Amino acid sequence: MTPTTMIKTNGISKTVTTTQGQLQILKPISFEVKAGESIAIVGASGSGKSTLLSLLAGLDEVSEGEIYIDGQAMQNMDEEQRAQLRGAKVGFIFQSFMLVQSLTALENIMLPAEIAGHHDAKKRALDILELVGLDHRASHYPNQLSGGEQQRVAIARAFISKPKILFADEPTGNLDADNSDKIEKLLFELNQNSHTTLVLVTHDPVLASKCQRQLHMQAGELTEVFPTPSIEQAARKVG
Amino acid sequence: MTNYTLSLAWRLFRHETKRGELTIILLAIILSVASVLSLSLFSERLKYALTEKSAEFIAADRVLESNKPVDLAWIEKAQEMGLNTAHQTYARSMVFANEQMDLVDLRAADTGYPLKGTVKVADEPFTQGIAIDRLPTSGEAWIESQLFQTLAISVGDNIEVGDKIFRVSKVLTEVPDAGFSVFGGDPKVLISKMDLAATKVEGPGSRIDYSYFFTGDSGDLDDYYDWLEPQLDNEIHDWDSVEDDESGIGRAVGRAGQYFLLASLLAIVLAAVSIAVAAQRYSMRHYDPVAIMKTLGAPKKMVQQIYLLQILFITALGITIGVILGFVIQQLVVLAIAGKVDVSVDVWHWRPLIIAIFTGTVCAVLFSLYPLMKLFSVSPLRVLRRDLGANLSSRLIQFVASGGAIFLLMWAYSQNIKVSAILFISGIILVVSLFGVTYGLIWVGRKLGQGKMGAWQLAWARIHRRAMDNSVQLISFAVTIMLLLIVLVMRNDMVQQWQDQLPQGTPNYFLVNISQAQQPNLQQHFVTNQVEIDKFYPVVRGRFVAVNDEKVRTAVSKEDPDEQSNGRDGLGREANLTWSNTLQKGSEVMAGKWLGENNNSDTAAQRPFEVSIEEGIAERMQLGLGDKLTFNIGSEIVDLNVTSIRNVNWQSMQPNFFFVIEPRALQNFIPTYISSFNLPTERKSDITQLMQPFANVTLIDVDARINQLRSIVDQVSMAVEFILILVLAAGALVLIAQVQASMDERQQELAILRTLGAKGRLIRASVVFEFIIIGVVAGAMAAVANEFSLYMLQTQIFQMPASLHLEYWIIAPLAGALVVGILGALGCWRLLSLNTSQLLRQMV
Repeated sequence: MTPTTMIKTNGISKTVTTTQGQLQILKPISFEVKAGESIAIVGASGSGKSTLLSLLAGLDEVSEGEIYIDGQAMQNMDEEQRAQLRGAKVGFIFQSFMLVQSLTALENIMLPAEIAGHHDAKKRALDILELVGLDHRASHYPNQLSGGEQQRVAIARAFISKPKILFADEPTGNLDADNSDKIEKLLFELNQNSHTTLVLVTHDPVLASKCQRQLHMQAGELTEVFPTPSIEQAARKVG
Repeated sequence: MTNYTLSLAWRLFRHETKRGELTIILLAIILSVASVLSLSLFSERLKYALTEKSAEFIAADRVLESNKPVDLAWIEKAQEMGLNTAHQTYARSMVFANEQMDLVDLRAADTGYPLKGTVKVADEPFTQGIAIDRLPTSGEAWIESQLFQTLAISVGDNIEVGDKIFRVSKVLTEVPDAGFSVFGGDPKVLISKMDLAATKVEGPGSRIDYSYFFTGDSGDLDDYYDWLEPQLDNEIHDWDSVEDDESGIGRAVGRAGQYFLLASLLAIVLAAVSIAVAAQRYSMRHYDPVAIMKTLGAPKKMVQQIYLLQILFITALGITIGVILGFVIQQLVVLAIAGKVDVSVDVWHWRPLIIAIFTGTVCAVLFSLYPLMKLFSVSPLRVLRRDLGANLSSRLIQFVASGGAIFLLMWAYSQNIKVSAILFISGIILVVSLFGVTYGLIWVGRKLGQGKMGAWQLAWARIHRRAMDNSVQLISFAVTIMLLLIVLVMRNDMVQQWQDQLPQGTPNYFLVNISQAQQPNLQQHFVTNQVEIDKFYPVVRGRFVAVNDEKVRTAVSKEDPDEQSNGRDGLGREANLTWSNTLQKGSEVMAGKWLGENNNSDTAAQRPFEVSIEEGIAERMQLGLGDKLTFNIGSEIVDLNVTSIRNVNWQSMQPNFFFVIEPRALQNFIPTYISSFNLPTERKSDITQLMQPFANVTLIDVDARINQLRSIVDQVSMAVEFILILVLAAGALVLIAQVQASMDERQQELAILRTLGAKGRLIRASVVFEFIIIGVVAGAMAAVANEFSLYMLQTQIFQMPASLHLEYWIIAPLAGALVVGILGALGCWRLLSLNTSQLLRQMV
């Protein structure tokens, strides 16, 4: 693995136990993502996109295979170590914003920095709040903000700890077209400025097209989609 | 723990308090602390007041009774330990005046007597007495009204007691330690202790008892008893407190104490239930923040610390507010009943405060343990998969933690494992059986509710879908209603029983020594004077001389004491023997068969005469069925065969007898009669006129004693009433918390129904139906469980006859439906007053 590889998976799969027996929801997948790269994982609902994201982010454990995040083998880590890794290197943006309802916008943004033990959490949060254009909403609670504003707070929260990787799960899924545009713009701008590796899960082809690479998920199998439309058979299996 | 953890926990706590997130759990803690504090502080104060009041009936806090003088060092030790002491000697002696004589209860008191209560005297016999703060001086005697009659003397005349002559200067109307048995006592004569030696009534064979009275701080009294106990001889000494008093006062106060204890225990359980409900709700509302924090890299320990700190903050705040509120409530109750029940607010009791803080802490910690453990187990994956709940779902842990906490609290509070165990086991049986019933009902209801989607069907569908949650909810409603029923029914039964003992018109005067010839005239005279007179009981006096031909000791005789020392103790005085074919009201045959009911083939003439004896005397004198008792009546010896043992309600203030003999045994004797009547206290002055034509008839005045008894029973009943109101209030708050919590769970569904265009009326009706169904079922289950718990409590703890309470089988479901239905409607009204977007937004 070269030092520029930020994510590397090696035959990772996920099998769950159901009443009908074992069900493999993710077939063995291997791929790499380089530092600073932006990739979109696209696919229909239930294709396994979110499952893959949860494995990459260390929110869930793989059934088989290996995942390396910035060179660290995640499959050998326990829940605590994975949390530590997330705190140090990973940022998140979710479709449903996932803000803590009882904290203000500013406090929500401070949260990861505080968890990581940064002394200047408040200053950082104020700076980034200004960057996302919500400095006048610092003391508002999430339910006092519009959907677009909540997602901007979530983006600010994701970037405060200067993560190496940013996982975004349908970041515009809950927003109208106008807000979606603004959020997309903000997301890619911050991503570019901070050289973060972006892994974006979406079913929106327009949003996906803004990423450098697109991986297509179908029935638990991942294929890479090359952007050149002329090469009809460009899709190759990456598993 | 890092500063960030602390600051984050504090900030979350602050915001959540401000936003009302913590209101329910905070209210639950406040409720538990406030109800426990107010109840136990009030009951402690009340108990103190009642014990003080009742202490008057033994003239002290503690009494050491002895049939020999005790070592003076014992009394000095008590004084050294800071106790007040007094002493009184009792002797049965004959008094003489005008060539008349009577056996009296002679009391020689030292200056300290009485340490509690007052002595009352009057200047004329059979008039109202007033309190006096001195005792007879040397040469002076105060005697009871009936003795003036028997001895035909007036105030100012002399009487002879033993070798000394006394001037009768007052009519003794009341001494605090008079006791409550009407016929047990002879008329009392009170003299100074200094004069006792001169009377020479103390001597071989005389029956003398010594009472040593003590008052002081209850801790000092206990310490003194600890010191004294090893030196006491059970045969000679008897250590009494008002709780040991068999007079009904002791029993009433004891029972009231147990009731307060029970009420407080139930209040603790109620509060615990509300904390459990609130903690569950709190935990579920925090699944998302925990998942978010874990996703953002918070270590498990940090998450745990944040939430434990929050619980700590909530507990501290809840306890602080609860203590203040509890104190205020208690103070208000005391103010409200001031004048009716004399509760002193000057005495501060620490125990209720400690118990309240302990309760708040244990409830908050142990009842939030399982919900918190669930909360900590929430996976970070929930951020992506919203349907993921907690990984931990062991109801066993919840039941063990909650059950353990409840038992621990009950035990710690009552220090009575029996009461705690009865309530706890009843609770477990209730909960287990309720689970079974609930599941069955939910299943049946769903079957009935299938079909068109009306409000009724929606209600059943909702109940069915959350069968487990609903079972828990249903059970918590049922338990709450059951606890309230227990407190209510216990109070009704207990107060009813007290009032039955002393109904209006209870005789307050007794007539003794009515001759056969006088009886019709006396009856007529009373009718003319509009005083209702009771039944006349024929009486002959007999001396009890032998059991199974073995002589018993007759303590009043001055025969050679050594000769009789091996025999059984006799009665010490002549017994009143009556005859009757019917069992007296309030009596019950405990062993054998009532007079004349034995299936004996012998003809009446051949049979030995039968006697029925009272169970207390049977025990004291070691008498059993089949024993032959010999009485000396007049100059004749009569043998009687014990064929039944009865219990007698001595508190009934009716003429009661140790021995009831079959009529044919006494047909050759000329009886005198006794009877009783009720004369209102305000007509007391009519007594002289009423009794004037019957100079030889002895009148025993128990009016003062009845009034004393009634006033204490009234006060205890009143106090019980207030405790009931406090518990009902606590219960109502718990029900509100439960409905509130469950309304929360319904919010999402209501929002969806609203969004889909369901009419407010349909939604409201479906929610109200749902709560009515829950209320009816919970009420019905509570009524059943209530019977079981009451049976155990009444028979095992309160020593009361158990009874069925069928009316509550109807009242409980109806009240359940009404109260829970109304609370549900109110909660629903609040939700429906929000518009759909507000509802949806609140769900995020």
